[in-house]
Amino acid sequence: MVKFRKLTKAGLLGQIQDNFKKIIASDASSKSIVLSNDLEINLQRIKVILHKCSDVVYRDFIFAQNEQIRLALIYIDGLADSGQISNQIMRALALEVPMAVPGQNITKSEALEFIKQRGLCISQFKETEQMQDIIHAILSGDTILLVDGHATAIINNSRGKVQSLSNSEGKTMVRGPRELFVENLRINTALIRRRIKSPNLKIETFKVGNVSDTDIALVYIEGIVNEKLVAEVKSRLEKIKIDAVLESGYIEELIEDNPWSLFPTVNHTEKPDKLAAMLLEGRVAILLDGTPVVLTVPNLFVEYFQTPEDYYQRFLFTPAARFIRFISMIITLILPSLYIAVVSFHHELLPTPLLLSFAAHREVVPFPVFLEVFIMEVVFEVLREAGNRLPQLIGQIVSIGAALVLGAMAVQAGFMATSTVIVVIFTGIASFVFAYSASIAFRLLRFGLLVLAGTLGLFGLISGVAVIAIHMCTLRSFGVPYLSPIAPTTGADLADVIYRAPWWAMFSRPRLIAGQNRKRQEQGLKPSPQKNK
Amino acid sequence: MLKKIAFLLLLFLLISPLEGCWSRREINEIAIVLGTGVDWTAEGKLRLTVQIANPGAFVGEGGRGQEATNWVVSAESKTIEEAERVLAKMVPRDLHWDQSIILVLGEEMAKKGTNMVTDFFQRNIEPREIMWLMVAKGEAKNFLETYSELEKTSAQAAGFLTRMKTGYSVQLWEYAEMLASKGVQPVATRVEVKEVGVTPGLDLEKMTPIHKQVEISGVGVFKEDKLIGWLDEYETIGLLWLKNEFIKGVITIPSPSESNKEVSIKIRRGSTKIVPEFDGENLRFTIKVKVEGDMVEQQGREDLAKPDKIKALEKEMAEEIKRRAIVLLQKAQGEFGVDIFGFGDDFHRKYKKAWRELKDQWDVKFAEAEVNIEVEAYIREISLLGKRASSPEK
Repeated sequence: MVKFRKLTKAGLLGQIQDNFKKIIASDASSKSIVLSNDLEINLQRIKVILHKCSDVVYRDFIFAQNEQIRLALIYIDGLADSGQISNQIMRALALEVPMAVPGQNITKSEALEFIKQRGLCISQFKETEQMQDIIHAILSGDTILLVDGHATAIINNSRGKVQSLSNSEGKTMVRGPRELFVENLRINTALIRRRIKSPNLKIETFKVGNVSDTDIALVYIEGIVNEKLVAEVKSRLEKIKIDAVLESGYIEELIEDNPWSLFPTVNHTEKPDKLAAMLLEGRVAILLDGTPVVLTVPNLFVEYFQTPEDYYQRFLFTPAARFIRFISMIITLILPSLYIAVVSFHHELLPTPLLLSFAAHREVVPFPVFLEVFIMEVVFEVLREAGNRLPQLIGQIVSIGAALVLGAMAVQAGFMATSTVIVVIFTGIASFVFAYSASIAFRLLRFGLLVLAGTLGLFGLISGVAVIAIHMCTLRSFGVPYLSPIAPTTGADLADVIYRAPWWAMFSRPRLIAGQNRKRQEQGLKPSPQKNK
Repeated sequence: MLKKIAFLLLLFLLISPLEGCWSRREINEIAIVLGTGVDWTAEGKLRLTVQIANPGAFVGEGGRGQEATNWVVSAESKTIEEAERVLAKMVPRDLHWDQSIILVLGEEMAKKGTNMVTDFFQRNIEPREIMWLMVAKGEAKNFLETYSELEKTSAQAAGFLTRMKTGYSVQLWEYAEMLASKGVQPVATRVEVKEVGVTPGLDLEKMTPIHKQVEISGVGVFKEDKLIGWLDEYETIGLLWLKNEFIKGVITIPSPSESNKEVSIKIRRGSTKIVPEFDGENLRFTIKVKVEGDMVEQQGREDLAKPDKIKALEKEMAEEIKRRAIVLLQKAQGEFGVDIFGFGDDFHRKYKKAWRELKDQWDVKFAEAEVNIEVEAYIREISLLGKRASSPEK
């Protein structure tokens, strides 16, 4: 059978495809490749370069003027304006041309010139013979028109406006793009494409959910991502047999490494710029139709201390900001427990004036300190939950304001000690500082530590913290240790943990995440005055 | 996994009622002792006096205004622990010693022997070994009953005073160390209750004619654990120098050519080195003192910013240090006959074999020893004024 394959056209194309793959492999930039006369071969070549890009649309049709002439349109769904394409290009070439020039027969060799002069109802187009230009044009949102028998492609300007949600409410950014993902999968993929115009950005689509039949897209950058990781994610996704997937949280729970852990091992984001950065570090993203929340794996614990602003603002500020986030994490976890332990067991740890002022506040309080803190924590959580249900802008103000007023009143009435209210409210506010999904874990663990500190004092608190630390050390996210690059320590990756290295010094991608290609950029990009020659 | 978690949860639930928070003591169920005093009464009993903080009076607005900040209560008994039990019948809360800043011994108690007191405070977990040890002239009880204008309690005031090291300050562990060593005899800060007239703020109407307040007034000298005498403030500074603690001292000497006018020099840094020499019979010590200071005040009008004047000042400064040291040495060797400087420790380091024979009669040997003092003094700065404005010289 293999012998005869050569004789058929499909076999021939298959061979072309194989050869072409080799060429691309040997010359990744595909700079030298020019178009061929054969439409079929051109299409195959583009398909090879843009393989696994499910958002690329290939549309071939017959030229209305001459049924012998085949045409093909290539564009990216979501990025190009498909209304303009069908109205102004397809409609003209497939239907309306005969009406313009009735009776006149156009030969194959005249077709290109004719289309350019009379066929296209589009204001702006270019011609090219270079494959490189074509790929770039497609990925930028332009539409390529290929004409059979001509080694020239017409690039039609069809860059549409990607309808994304602007970040007017919710999280405010100090600096950086305001764009957010939306519920539509195609728009979301286009949002990513707009940031990474590389043919290596692969978008593979599947269906998930026996009843809901939801579209799900796996996004990664070939050449940067670890191939094994992609295979692992795919195999985990394939195992999902569920009725419906309504939000990416379903997927998260079905592909997690450690389903019983309080700590999330799958990260998520709504920001296209953040997602692009994660993809460029070698992560895999999972997009789901119907939700703006995109999952990313593998997830490291340090990600909760990194924000997009860290990378946009001046790098010298980053360590300070990250230090604050880290301290907030520790405060969220242990401050109330530490307070209980010290006040009810270890008075000797406090400086005399501080002990006296604690004691003064507590003179009138009827409850033991453990109960007091516990009640106050519950009150704070109630207010926070209420705040979540209220309209977003009012919600936070109500919850924090109510906490303050309630706290002040409780102190005045003599139910609570001032120091307790300060500790609890400060802890509550600290828990807002770092990423929400991680703060949930710490908020819950905090209650466990409260009980430990209330019964066993510092001994209990430290044992609790040790258990948490041990647990975190055992966690893995898709094969990557959760606490890396801190534990296990991977030298170069520490450049983005405590501080963020300036961009001219960020030479490599995370070692445990990215695949073989770890080089991010060239050396010697640091700006410096030009030397006199 | 589920089984494991369930198992751990059950285990925890089973354990928690067992341990029952046995050492838990709420902060409002304890009596915080700020200062402790021990006296020896005329009837031959120990009297334990504690100054207990009243936290309610400690905070500004939330607190209850004009209440007394502390409560001084005492009990008499044979031992300190017994006295504490007696106190427990009077004080409605548990006594907590861990914040006690000072331990004051009454004069009689110190003469009777400090071992009866310090043992309790060293043996137990709660009291800290870093509390300041002091000997009160008179009774410790009176000392604790005074109050301070700036600090909330007299115990805190005394604690801050000793911490600033204006005099010779001793913590309990340092005292215990001196007591344990045969090469040095212990000393402890002397405190006194002074009656002074005080004008509170600008309100002249309310002038308090007499107010009792605490003051550091020198050092108490011990032989073993018994008080044998006092050093006054002037001598205490000499003691600081000879014990290699040049902190916050001032030397005042007459101006080189105007002998009725004084010049004050603030000590910046200094060090003392003691070199023992022993030939089997005669014991000799050479004390090498090196001092650097800044001139901070001049009463006269002469121009001191000249090398020869500075030299003269330095010489006079060295003489003054020498004079004080000799006075102090004579007192220690003659009147007390105890080595309060720690010469014995230096001797021990150099002559290990000889020390074995001499250690039990060290105080006698020390009293007989010949002591030479060599002082090197330097003036480093004369501060902002070079020449007095009204200087007669050009």
